[in-house]
Amino acid sequence: MLRQIKPRNARSKRALDKKAPKAIENPKTALFLRGTSCSQITQNALTDLYQLRIPLAKKFTKKNEIHPFEDPSSLEFFSEKNDAGILVFGSSNKKRPHAITLARCFGHKILDMLELNLDADTFRTLAQFKNKKCAVGLKPMLVFSGTPFESPVSDEYTLAKSFFIDFFKGEPADKVDVEGLQYIVSVSAQDIVDGAESKPQIHLRVYLIKTKKSGQKLPRVEVEEMGPRMDFRVGRVREADESVLKEAMRRARTSAERPKKNISTDIVGDKIGRIHLGKQDLSELQTRKMKGLKRSRDVVDDDFDDEMEDEVVSEEEGKKKSRRN
Amino acid sequence: MAEVQGPSKLPVVVQKPTPYTFDLGLLMAEDPNPLLISSKDNLEDDLAATARDGAQALLNQLLSTCPIQSTPSGVLLSLPEISTRLPREKPLPPPKAQTTWEKFAAKKGIKGKTAEQKKKMVYDDNTGEWVPKWGYKGANKAGENDWIVEVDPRKEAERKEGTERQGDGRRERKEKVRRNERMQRANERKSRKNGGK
Repeated sequence: MLRQIKPRNARSKRALDKKAPKAIENPKTALFLRGTSCSQITQNALTDLYQLRIPLAKKFTKKNEIHPFEDPSSLEFFSEKNDAGILVFGSSNKKRPHAITLARCFGHKILDMLELNLDADTFRTLAQFKNKKCAVGLKPMLVFSGTPFESPVSDEYTLAKSFFIDFFKGEPADKVDVEGLQYIVSVSAQDIVDGAESKPQIHLRVYLIKTKKSGQKLPRVEVEEMGPRMDFRVGRVREADESVLKEAMRRARTSAERPKKNISTDIVGDKIGRIHLGKQDLSELQTRKMKGLKRSRDVVDDDFDDEMEDEVVSEEEGKKKSRRN
Repeated sequence: MAEVQGPSKLPVVVQKPTPYTFDLGLLMAEDPNPLLISSKDNLEDDLAATARDGAQALLNQLLSTCPIQSTPSGVLLSLPEISTRLPREKPLPPPKAQTTWEKFAAKKGIKGKTAEQKKKMVYDDNTGEWVPKWGYKGANKAGENDWIVEVDPRKEAERKEGTERQGDGRRERKEKVRRNERMQRANERKSRKNGGK
Protein backbone atom coordinates (compact mmCIF):
# COMPACT_ATOMS: atom_id res chain seq x y z
CA MET A 1 0.00 0.00 0.00
CA LEU A 2 1.38 3.33 -1.01
CA ARG A 3 1.16 6.17 1.46
CA GLN A 4 -1.73 8.54 1.09
CA ILE A 5 -0.59 11.54 -0.88
CA LYS A 6 -1.93 14.98 -0.24
CA PRO A 7 -1.56 17.10 -3.34
CA ARG A 8 0.77 20.05 -2.90
CA ASN A 9 -0.10 21.83 -6.12
CA ALA A 10 -2.76 21.93 -8.81
CA ARG A 11 -0.87 19.68 -11.19
CA SER A 12 -0.48 16.83 -8.73
CA LYS A 13 -4.10 17.31 -7.69
CA ARG A 14 -5.21 16.88 -11.28
CA ALA A 15 -3.08 13.75 -11.55
CA LEU A 16 -4.62 12.32 -8.39
CA ASP A 17 -8.13 13.20 -9.52
CA LYS A 18 -7.48 11.31 -12.72
CA LYS A 19 -6.65 8.21 -10.69
CA ALA A 20 -9.47 8.57 -8.18
CA PRO A 21 -12.46 6.20 -8.37
CA LYS A 22 -15.20 7.55 -10.58
CA ALA A 23 -18.80 6.65 -11.17
CA ILE A 24 -18.07 6.26 -14.87
CA GLU A 25 -14.60 4.87 -15.08
CA ASN A 26 -11.66 5.55 -17.32
CA PRO A 27 -10.86 2.68 -19.65
CA LYS A 28 -8.59 0.14 -18.02
CA THR A 29 -4.89 0.28 -18.74
CA ALA A 30 -3.17 -3.01 -19.42
CA LEU A 31 0.30 -3.55 -18.04
CA PHE A 32 2.56 -6.12 -19.66
CA LEU A 33 5.19 -7.75 -17.47
CA ARG A 34 7.57 -10.68 -17.74
CA GLY A 35 8.92 -13.06 -15.18
CA THR A 36 12.50 -14.04 -14.56
CA SER A 37 12.30 -16.77 -17.13
CA CYS A 38 10.26 -15.96 -20.16
CA SER A 39 10.75 -17.71 -23.49
CA GLN A 40 11.16 -15.75 -26.69
CA ILE A 41 7.82 -17.09 -27.88
CA THR A 42 6.05 -15.74 -24.82
CA GLN A 43 7.82 -12.41 -25.19
CA ASN A 44 6.68 -12.19 -28.80
CA ALA A 45 3.15 -13.03 -27.76
CA LEU A 46 3.23 -10.28 -25.13
CA THR A 47 4.53 -7.80 -27.69
CA ASP A 48 1.74 -8.68 -30.10
CA LEU A 49 -0.96 -8.39 -27.45
CA TYR A 50 0.58 -5.07 -26.50
CA GLN A 51 0.43 -3.93 -30.12
CA LEU A 52 -3.28 -4.71 -30.23
CA ARG A 53 -3.91 -2.90 -26.98
CA ILE A 54 -2.07 0.37 -27.70
CA PRO A 55 -2.74 3.16 -26.57
CA LEU A 56 -4.28 1.79 -23.35
CA ALA A 57 -1.20 -0.25 -22.56
CA LYS A 58 2.18 -0.13 -20.89
CA LYS A 59 4.96 -2.63 -21.39
CA PHE A 60 7.85 -3.30 -19.09
CA THR A 61 10.84 -5.28 -20.25
CA LYS A 62 12.78 -5.92 -17.06
CA LYS A 63 12.60 -9.28 -15.38
CA ASN A 64 10.43 -9.54 -12.30
CA GLU A 65 10.55 -12.32 -9.80
CA ILE A 66 6.82 -12.79 -9.55
CA HIS A 67 4.78 -15.95 -9.17
CA PRO A 68 1.24 -14.65 -9.59
CA PHE A 69 -0.56 -17.65 -8.14
CA GLU A 70 1.74 -17.91 -5.13
CA ASP A 71 2.09 -14.27 -4.20
CA PRO A 72 0.35 -11.60 -6.23
CA SER A 73 1.43 -8.72 -3.97
CA SER A 74 3.98 -7.36 -6.44
CA LEU A 75 1.39 -7.44 -9.18
CA GLU A 76 -0.86 -5.39 -6.92
CA PHE A 77 1.99 -2.96 -6.37
CA PHE A 78 2.52 -2.59 -10.11
CA SER A 79 -1.19 -2.12 -10.61
CA GLU A 80 -1.32 0.69 -8.09
CA LYS A 81 1.85 2.38 -9.31
CA ASN A 82 0.74 2.39 -12.92
CA ASP A 83 -3.00 2.69 -12.39
CA ALA A 84 -3.48 -0.48 -14.40
CA GLY A 85 -6.65 -2.56 -14.21
CA ILE A 86 -5.43 -5.43 -16.34
CA LEU A 87 -2.08 -7.14 -15.92
CA VAL A 88 -0.59 -9.52 -18.46
CA PHE A 89 2.30 -11.52 -17.12
CA GLY A 90 4.45 -13.80 -19.22
CA SER A 91 6.61 -16.57 -17.90
CA SER A 92 7.90 -19.89 -19.01
CA ASN A 93 9.24 -22.91 -17.21
CA LYS A 94 9.44 -26.63 -17.70
CA LYS A 95 6.19 -27.43 -15.94
CA ARG A 96 4.23 -24.57 -17.46
CA PRO A 97 5.78 -23.62 -20.78
CA HIS A 98 4.84 -20.31 -22.39
CA ALA A 99 2.37 -19.26 -19.74
CA ILE A 100 0.55 -15.98 -20.07
CA THR A 101 -1.28 -14.96 -16.91
CA LEU A 102 -4.09 -12.49 -17.23
CA ALA A 103 -5.03 -10.72 -14.04
CA ARG A 104 -7.67 -8.14 -13.30
CA CYS A 105 -7.61 -5.77 -10.40
CA PHE A 106 -10.34 -4.21 -8.36
CA GLY A 107 -9.19 -1.28 -6.29
CA HIS A 108 -5.59 -2.33 -6.98
CA LYS A 109 -6.18 -5.76 -5.46
CA ILE A 110 -6.19 -8.86 -7.61
CA LEU A 111 -9.77 -9.75 -8.50
CA ASP A 112 -9.27 -12.80 -10.67
CA MET A 113 -6.51 -14.49 -12.60
CA LEU A 114 -6.35 -16.86 -15.51
CA GLU A 115 -3.32 -18.68 -16.77
CA LEU A 116 -3.21 -19.49 -20.47
CA ASN A 117 -0.55 -21.78 -21.86
CA LEU A 118 0.39 -20.80 -25.36
CA ASP A 119 0.83 -23.51 -27.94
CA ALA A 120 4.33 -22.86 -29.30
CA ASP A 121 3.86 -24.85 -32.52
CA THR A 122 0.89 -23.00 -33.88
CA PHE A 123 1.82 -19.54 -32.61
CA ARG A 124 2.37 -16.94 -35.33
CA THR A 125 3.28 -13.35 -34.57
CA LEU A 126 1.74 -10.24 -36.04
CA ALA A 127 4.82 -9.64 -38.18
CA GLN A 128 4.73 -13.12 -39.70
CA PHE A 129 1.62 -12.25 -41.68
CA LYS A 130 2.80 -10.15 -44.58
CA ASN A 131 -0.09 -7.83 -45.17
CA LYS A 132 -1.36 -4.39 -44.30
CA LYS A 133 -2.13 -3.93 -40.62
CA CYS A 134 -4.92 -1.84 -39.27
CA ALA A 135 -4.37 1.53 -37.65
CA VAL A 136 -3.37 1.78 -34.00
CA GLY A 137 -6.08 2.25 -31.39
CA LEU A 138 -9.06 1.14 -33.47
CA LYS A 139 -11.94 -0.54 -31.72
CA PRO A 140 -12.06 -4.19 -32.76
CA MET A 141 -15.20 -6.19 -33.33
CA LEU A 142 -15.45 -9.32 -31.24
CA VAL A 143 -16.92 -12.70 -31.97
CA PHE A 144 -17.01 -15.61 -29.58
CA SER A 145 -17.90 -18.94 -31.10
CA GLY A 146 -18.37 -22.28 -29.49
CA THR A 147 -20.51 -23.70 -26.74
CA PRO A 148 -17.96 -23.43 -23.88
CA PHE A 149 -18.32 -19.64 -23.80
CA GLU A 150 -22.07 -19.90 -23.33
CA SER A 151 -21.92 -21.96 -20.16
CA PRO A 152 -24.45 -20.70 -17.60
CA VAL A 153 -22.14 -21.43 -14.67
CA SER A 154 -18.88 -19.55 -14.55
CA ASP A 155 -15.88 -21.65 -15.47
CA GLU A 156 -12.51 -21.13 -17.15
CA TYR A 157 -14.08 -20.44 -20.51
CA THR A 158 -16.57 -17.83 -19.40
CA LEU A 159 -13.79 -16.25 -17.36
CA ALA A 160 -11.58 -16.23 -20.45
CA LYS A 161 -14.40 -14.64 -22.40
CA SER A 162 -14.83 -11.96 -19.75
CA PHE A 163 -11.07 -11.34 -19.82
CA PHE A 164 -10.95 -11.07 -23.58
CA ILE A 165 -13.92 -8.69 -23.66
CA ASP A 166 -12.22 -6.54 -21.07
CA PHE A 167 -8.95 -6.70 -22.98
CA PHE A 168 -10.34 -5.83 -26.40
CA LYS A 169 -13.05 -3.43 -25.26
CA GLY A 170 -10.99 -0.35 -25.91
CA GLU A 171 -12.22 3.11 -25.22
CA PRO A 172 -15.95 3.41 -24.60
CA ALA A 173 -17.65 5.04 -27.56
CA ASP A 174 -21.27 5.80 -28.22
CA LYS A 175 -20.54 6.46 -31.87
CA VAL A 176 -18.18 4.65 -34.20
CA ASP A 177 -17.12 5.43 -37.71
CA VAL A 178 -18.08 2.71 -40.16
CA GLU A 179 -14.63 3.11 -41.71
CA GLY A 180 -13.15 2.23 -38.32
CA LEU A 181 -14.64 -1.27 -38.30
CA GLN A 182 -11.52 -2.77 -39.83
CA TYR A 183 -10.74 -5.88 -37.90
CA ILE A 184 -12.35 -8.60 -35.88
CA VAL A 185 -11.02 -10.63 -32.99
CA SER A 186 -12.36 -14.13 -33.08
CA VAL A 187 -12.18 -16.31 -30.00
CA SER A 188 -13.36 -19.84 -30.45
CA ALA A 189 -13.30 -23.15 -28.68
CA GLN A 190 -14.60 -26.58 -29.51
CA ASP A 191 -17.11 -28.40 -27.35
CA ILE A 192 -16.05 -29.80 -24.03
CA VAL A 193 -16.08 -33.58 -24.33
CA ASP A 194 -16.64 -35.49 -21.14
CA GLY A 195 -13.91 -37.99 -20.45
CA ALA A 196 -11.41 -36.35 -22.81
CA GLU A 197 -7.89 -36.14 -21.40
CA SER A 198 -7.56 -32.40 -22.01
CA LYS A 199 -9.93 -29.49 -22.30
CA PRO A 200 -10.39 -27.87 -25.70
CA GLN A 201 -8.04 -25.14 -26.80
CA ILE A 202 -9.04 -21.52 -27.06
CA HIS A 203 -8.23 -20.20 -30.50
CA LEU A 204 -7.51 -16.49 -30.72
CA ARG A 205 -7.47 -15.14 -34.25
CA VAL A 206 -7.43 -11.62 -35.57
CA TYR A 207 -8.78 -10.95 -39.03
CA LEU A 208 -8.92 -7.90 -41.23
CA ILE A 209 -12.32 -7.25 -42.70
CA LYS A 210 -12.81 -6.68 -46.40
CA THR A 211 -16.21 -5.61 -47.56
CA LYS A 212 -17.41 -6.22 -51.08
CA LYS A 213 -20.42 -4.93 -52.90
CA SER A 214 -22.99 -7.66 -52.89
CA GLY A 215 -25.60 -6.03 -55.06
CA GLN A 216 -27.78 -5.65 -52.00
CA LYS A 217 -28.02 -3.07 -49.31
CA LEU A 218 -25.67 -4.88 -46.95
CA PRO A 219 -22.09 -5.55 -48.01
CA ARG A 220 -20.52 -8.97 -48.28
CA VAL A 221 -17.82 -9.51 -45.70
CA GLU A 222 -14.60 -11.38 -46.31
CA VAL A 223 -11.83 -11.91 -43.80
CA GLU A 224 -8.06 -12.03 -44.11
CA GLU A 225 -5.88 -13.09 -41.23
CA MET A 226 -3.82 -10.27 -39.78
CA GLY A 227 -2.24 -12.04 -36.84
CA PRO A 228 -1.32 -12.82 -34.18
CA ARG A 229 -2.49 -16.41 -34.16
CA MET A 230 -2.58 -17.95 -30.73
CA ASP A 231 -3.89 -21.21 -29.35
CA PHE A 232 -4.19 -21.47 -25.62
CA ARG A 233 -4.74 -24.20 -23.12
CA VAL A 234 -6.30 -23.10 -19.90
CA GLY A 235 -3.98 -23.48 -16.94
CA ARG A 236 -4.46 -22.35 -13.38
CA VAL A 237 -7.42 -20.21 -12.47
CA ARG A 238 -8.08 -17.96 -9.52
CA GLU A 239 -11.70 -16.99 -9.47
CA ALA A 240 -12.92 -13.82 -7.88
CA ASP A 241 -14.05 -13.77 -4.29
CA GLU A 242 -17.84 -13.64 -4.39
CA SER A 243 -18.30 -10.63 -2.13
CA VAL A 244 -15.54 -8.70 -3.90
CA LEU A 245 -16.99 -9.57 -7.28
CA LYS A 246 -20.40 -8.37 -6.16
CA GLU A 247 -18.86 -5.09 -5.10
CA ALA A 248 -16.99 -4.87 -8.40
CA MET A 249 -20.13 -5.47 -10.42
CA ARG A 250 -21.98 -2.57 -8.86
CA ARG A 251 -22.93 0.20 -11.20
CA ALA A 252 -23.37 3.83 -10.44
CA ARG A 253 -26.87 5.16 -10.35
CA THR A 254 -27.31 7.08 -13.53
CA SER A 255 -29.38 10.20 -13.88
CA ALA A 256 -31.47 8.40 -16.48
CA GLU A 257 -35.01 7.97 -15.31
CA ARG A 258 -35.60 4.66 -13.65
CA PRO A 259 -38.57 2.68 -14.88
CA LYS A 260 -41.67 3.28 -12.83
CA LYS A 261 -43.18 0.32 -11.11
CA ASN A 262 -46.41 -1.21 -12.33
CA ILE A 263 -46.57 0.97 -15.42
CA SER A 264 -45.96 -0.59 -18.78
CA THR A 265 -46.68 0.10 -22.39
CA ASP A 266 -48.12 -2.55 -24.64
CA ILE A 267 -47.35 -3.13 -28.31
CA VAL A 268 -49.98 -0.70 -29.51
CA GLY A 269 -48.52 2.05 -27.35
CA ASP A 270 -51.24 2.13 -24.71
CA LYS A 271 -50.13 2.79 -21.19
CA ILE A 272 -51.09 0.04 -18.80
CA GLY A 273 -50.98 0.54 -15.07
CA ARG A 274 -51.58 -1.85 -12.22
CA ILE A 275 -53.08 -0.33 -9.11
CA HIS A 276 -53.60 -1.87 -5.73
CA LEU A 277 -56.82 -1.25 -3.84
CA GLY A 278 -57.43 -1.85 -0.20
CA LYS A 279 -59.45 -4.82 0.94
CA GLN A 280 -63.12 -4.37 0.14
CA ASP A 281 -65.44 -4.08 3.10
CA LEU A 282 -68.24 -6.48 2.27
CA SER A 283 -70.52 -5.21 5.01
CA GLU A 284 -70.78 -1.91 3.15
CA LEU A 285 -71.64 -3.65 -0.08
CA GLN A 286 -74.79 -2.38 -1.78
CA THR A 287 -77.00 -5.38 -2.34
CA ARG A 288 -80.29 -5.54 -4.12
CA LYS A 289 -82.68 -2.81 -3.06
CA MET A 290 -86.07 -3.80 -1.74
CA LYS A 291 -88.92 -1.72 -0.47
CA GLY A 292 -89.22 -3.83 2.64
CA LEU A 293 -85.63 -3.16 3.71
CA LYS A 294 -85.88 0.61 3.32
CA ARG A 295 -85.72 2.55 6.56
CA SER A 296 -88.21 5.31 6.97
CA ARG A 297 -86.03 8.34 6.32
CA ASP A 298 -88.55 11.14 6.80
CA VAL A 299 -89.00 10.91 10.57
CA VAL A 300 -85.49 10.03 11.69
CA ASP A 301 -83.61 12.35 9.33
CA ASP A 302 -85.56 15.45 10.25
CA ASP A 303 -84.89 14.97 13.94
CA PHE A 304 -81.26 14.31 13.25
CA ASP A 305 -80.82 17.49 11.19
CA ASP A 306 -82.37 19.65 13.90
CA GLU A 307 -80.04 18.26 16.48
CA MET A 308 -77.04 18.98 14.26
CA GLU A 309 -78.04 22.59 13.73
CA ASP A 310 -78.48 23.11 17.44
CA GLU A 311 -75.08 21.75 18.12
CA VAL A 312 -73.43 23.98 15.53
CA VAL A 313 -75.00 27.08 16.97
CA SER A 314 -74.03 26.26 20.49
CA GLU A 315 -70.49 25.59 19.43
CA GLU A 316 -70.19 28.94 17.71
CA GLU A 317 -71.52 30.66 20.77
CA GLY A 318 -69.01 28.87 22.89
CA LYS A 319 -66.18 30.08 20.66
CA LYS A 320 -67.37 33.63 20.80
CA LYS A 321 -67.56 33.42 24.54
CA SER A 322 -64.07 32.07 24.82
CA ARG A 323 -62.71 34.83 22.58
CA ARG A 324 -64.27 37.43 24.78
CA ASN A 325 -62.60 35.84 27.72
CA MET B 1 -23.44 -21.83 -43.87
CA ALA B 2 -24.37 -18.75 -45.85
CA GLU B 3 -27.47 -18.91 -47.96
CA VAL B 4 -27.16 -18.47 -51.69
CA GLN B 5 -29.48 -15.78 -52.99
CA GLY B 6 -28.88 -15.70 -56.69
CA PRO B 7 -26.24 -16.37 -59.29
CA SER B 8 -24.76 -12.86 -59.50
CA LYS B 9 -25.40 -11.56 -56.00
CA LEU B 10 -23.00 -12.43 -53.21
CA PRO B 11 -24.75 -13.91 -50.20
CA VAL B 12 -24.96 -11.65 -47.15
CA VAL B 13 -27.33 -13.59 -44.92
CA VAL B 14 -25.93 -15.90 -42.26
CA GLN B 15 -28.02 -18.89 -41.28
CA LYS B 16 -27.20 -20.76 -38.10
CA PRO B 17 -29.19 -23.38 -36.16
CA THR B 18 -29.03 -21.19 -33.03
CA PRO B 19 -29.14 -17.47 -33.71
CA TYR B 20 -26.33 -15.14 -32.68
CA THR B 21 -26.63 -12.92 -29.67
CA PHE B 22 -25.18 -9.45 -29.87
CA ASP B 23 -23.87 -6.78 -27.59
CA LEU B 24 -23.61 -3.94 -30.03
CA GLY B 25 -22.20 -1.52 -27.45
CA LEU B 26 -19.09 -3.68 -27.37
CA LEU B 27 -19.29 -4.56 -31.08
CA MET B 28 -19.58 -8.15 -29.95
CA ALA B 29 -21.32 -11.18 -31.37
CA GLU B 30 -21.74 -14.51 -29.65
CA ASP B 31 -22.15 -17.65 -31.66
CA PRO B 32 -23.57 -20.33 -29.38
CA ASN B 33 -23.31 -23.06 -32.01
CA PRO B 34 -20.71 -25.81 -31.62
CA LEU B 35 -17.50 -25.04 -33.47
CA LEU B 36 -17.37 -27.25 -36.57
CA ILE B 37 -13.90 -28.40 -37.46
CA SER B 38 -13.66 -31.12 -40.08
CA SER B 39 -10.03 -32.12 -39.58
CA LYS B 40 -6.86 -30.92 -37.90
CA ASP B 41 -5.35 -29.71 -41.20
CA ASN B 42 -8.43 -27.76 -42.03
CA LEU B 43 -8.45 -25.87 -38.73
CA GLU B 44 -7.45 -22.45 -40.04
CA ASP B 45 -9.96 -22.47 -42.91
CA ASP B 46 -12.78 -23.51 -40.59
CA LEU B 47 -11.88 -20.88 -38.03
CA ALA B 48 -11.72 -18.24 -40.77
CA ALA B 49 -15.12 -19.34 -42.07
CA THR B 50 -16.65 -19.16 -38.60
CA ALA B 51 -15.12 -15.74 -38.04
CA ARG B 52 -16.37 -14.56 -41.42
CA ASP B 53 -19.91 -15.64 -40.60
CA GLY B 54 -19.66 -13.92 -37.24
CA ALA B 55 -18.32 -10.74 -38.79
CA GLN B 56 -21.02 -10.76 -41.44
CA ALA B 57 -23.78 -11.29 -38.89
CA LEU B 58 -22.40 -8.60 -36.62
CA LEU B 59 -22.02 -6.10 -39.42
CA ASN B 60 -25.52 -6.89 -40.70
CA GLN B 61 -26.91 -6.34 -37.23
CA LEU B 62 -24.97 -3.11 -36.76
CA LEU B 63 -25.99 -1.64 -40.09
CA SER B 64 -29.61 -2.65 -39.77
CA THR B 65 -30.36 -1.73 -36.16
CA CYS B 66 -28.07 1.19 -35.23
CA PRO B 67 -29.04 4.70 -36.28
CA ILE B 68 -26.68 5.85 -39.03
CA GLN B 69 -25.58 9.45 -39.32
CA SER B 70 -23.69 10.90 -42.27
CA THR B 71 -21.28 13.66 -41.33
CA PRO B 72 -18.45 15.34 -43.28
CA SER B 73 -15.95 13.31 -41.23
CA GLY B 74 -17.55 9.98 -42.08
CA VAL B 75 -20.54 7.73 -41.57
CA LEU B 76 -21.19 7.34 -37.87
CA LEU B 77 -23.03 4.51 -36.17
CA SER B 78 -24.68 5.23 -32.83
CA LEU B 79 -24.10 2.30 -30.54
CA PRO B 80 -26.46 1.27 -27.76
CA GLU B 81 -25.43 0.88 -24.14
CA ILE B 82 -23.17 -2.01 -23.20
CA SER B 83 -25.30 -4.80 -21.77
CA THR B 84 -22.56 -7.24 -20.73
CA ARG B 85 -21.61 -6.83 -17.09
CA LEU B 86 -17.91 -6.42 -16.53
CA PRO B 87 -16.20 -5.84 -13.19
CA ARG B 88 -15.15 -2.33 -12.33
CA GLU B 89 -11.54 -1.31 -11.92
CA LYS B 90 -12.07 0.64 -8.71
CA PRO B 91 -14.86 0.75 -6.15
CA LEU B 92 -17.65 3.24 -6.59
CA PRO B 93 -16.78 6.63 -5.15
CA PRO B 94 -18.38 7.19 -1.74
CA PRO B 95 -21.27 9.64 -1.69
CA LYS B 96 -20.18 13.20 -1.01
CA ALA B 97 -20.41 14.22 2.65
CA GLN B 98 -22.80 17.07 3.49
CA THR B 99 -21.18 20.36 4.36
CA THR B 100 -22.01 22.01 7.67
CA TRP B 101 -24.23 24.48 5.89
CA GLU B 102 -26.07 21.73 3.98
CA LYS B 103 -26.69 19.86 7.23
CA PHE B 104 -27.96 22.99 8.93
CA ALA B 105 -30.14 23.95 5.99
CA ALA B 106 -31.66 20.48 5.84
CA LYS B 107 -32.39 20.58 9.57
CA LYS B 108 -33.98 24.00 9.36
CA GLY B 109 -35.72 23.34 6.09
CA ILE B 110 -33.93 26.16 4.29
CA LYS B 111 -34.10 25.91 0.57
CA GLY B 112 -32.09 27.75 -2.04
CA LYS B 113 -33.61 30.78 -3.72
CA THR B 114 -35.58 30.13 -6.83
CA ALA B 115 -34.79 31.89 -10.09
CA GLU B 116 -37.81 34.14 -9.46
CA GLN B 117 -36.54 35.11 -6.03
CA LYS B 118 -33.08 35.90 -7.35
CA LYS B 119 -34.36 38.60 -9.70
CA LYS B 120 -33.76 42.17 -8.60
CA MET B 121 -36.89 43.75 -10.07
CA VAL B 122 -40.38 43.20 -8.69
CA TYR B 123 -43.70 44.19 -10.13
CA ASP B 124 -45.58 46.85 -8.24
CA ASP B 125 -49.27 46.07 -8.53
CA ASN B 126 -50.43 49.54 -7.48
CA THR B 127 -48.45 51.59 -9.95
CA GLY B 128 -48.07 48.89 -12.61
CA GLU B 129 -44.31 49.38 -12.80
CA TRP B 130 -41.24 47.26 -12.30
CA VAL B 131 -39.23 48.53 -9.36
CA PRO B 132 -36.00 47.26 -7.78
CA LYS B 133 -36.33 45.37 -4.49
CA TRP B 134 -33.75 47.65 -2.87
CA GLY B 135 -31.65 50.67 -3.73
CA TYR B 136 -32.81 53.86 -5.41
CA LYS B 137 -36.62 53.92 -5.43
CA GLY B 138 -36.51 50.42 -3.98
CA ALA B 139 -39.59 48.49 -2.94
CA ASN B 140 -38.24 48.18 0.62
CA LYS B 141 -38.74 51.93 1.05
CA ALA B 142 -42.45 51.74 0.32
CA GLY B 143 -44.49 53.90 2.70
CA GLU B 144 -41.52 55.83 4.11
CA ASN B 145 -42.39 59.09 2.40
CA ASP B 146 -46.15 58.97 2.86
CA TRP B 147 -47.47 62.42 3.83
CA ILE B 148 -50.22 60.98 5.98
CA VAL B 149 -49.87 57.85 8.13
CA GLU B 150 -52.36 55.98 10.27
CA VAL B 151 -51.11 55.80 13.82
CA ASP B 152 -51.72 52.89 16.16
CA PRO B 153 -52.68 54.59 19.45
CA ARG B 154 -51.50 51.69 21.62
CA LYS B 155 -48.01 51.66 20.03
CA GLU B 156 -47.89 55.44 20.25
CA ALA B 157 -48.56 55.16 23.99
CA GLU B 158 -45.68 52.69 24.42
CA ARG B 159 -43.26 54.88 22.47
CA LYS B 160 -40.11 55.78 24.36
CA GLU B 161 -39.44 59.29 25.47
CA GLY B 162 -37.50 61.36 22.96
CA THR B 163 -38.25 59.26 19.86
CA GLU B 164 -40.71 60.07 17.16
CA ARG B 165 -42.57 58.22 14.50
CA GLN B 166 -40.91 60.20 11.74
CA GLY B 167 -38.17 58.07 10.10
CA ASP B 168 -39.16 54.83 11.83
CA GLY B 169 -39.08 52.82 8.61
CA ARG B 170 -35.67 54.12 7.68
CA ARG B 171 -34.24 53.34 11.12
CA GLU B 172 -35.64 49.81 10.97
CA ARG B 173 -34.14 49.27 7.53
CA LYS B 174 -30.71 50.52 8.58
CA GLU B 175 -30.81 48.39 11.72
CA LYS B 176 -31.49 45.28 9.59
CA VAL B 177 -28.39 46.00 7.51
CA ARG B 178 -26.28 46.50 10.61
CA ARG B 179 -27.61 43.28 12.15
CA ASN B 180 -26.74 41.34 9.00
CA GLU B 181 -23.20 42.71 9.02
CA ARG B 182 -22.86 41.78 12.67
CA MET B 183 -23.91 38.20 11.93
CA GLN B 184 -21.52 38.04 9.02
CA ARG B 185 -18.59 39.13 11.17
CA ALA B 186 -19.56 36.62 13.86
CA ASN B 187 -19.68 33.82 11.31
CA GLU B 188 -16.25 34.73 9.98
CA ARG B 189 -14.86 34.80 13.48
CA LYS B 190 -16.42 31.41 14.23
CA SER B 191 -15.05 29.82 11.06
CA ARG B 192 -11.56 31.16 11.82
CA LYS B 193 -11.74 29.66 15.26
CA ASN B 194 -12.85 26.28 13.86
CA GLY B 195 -9.68 25.97 11.81
CA GLY B 196 -10.95 27.31 8.52
CA LYS B 197 -8.80 29.40 6.21
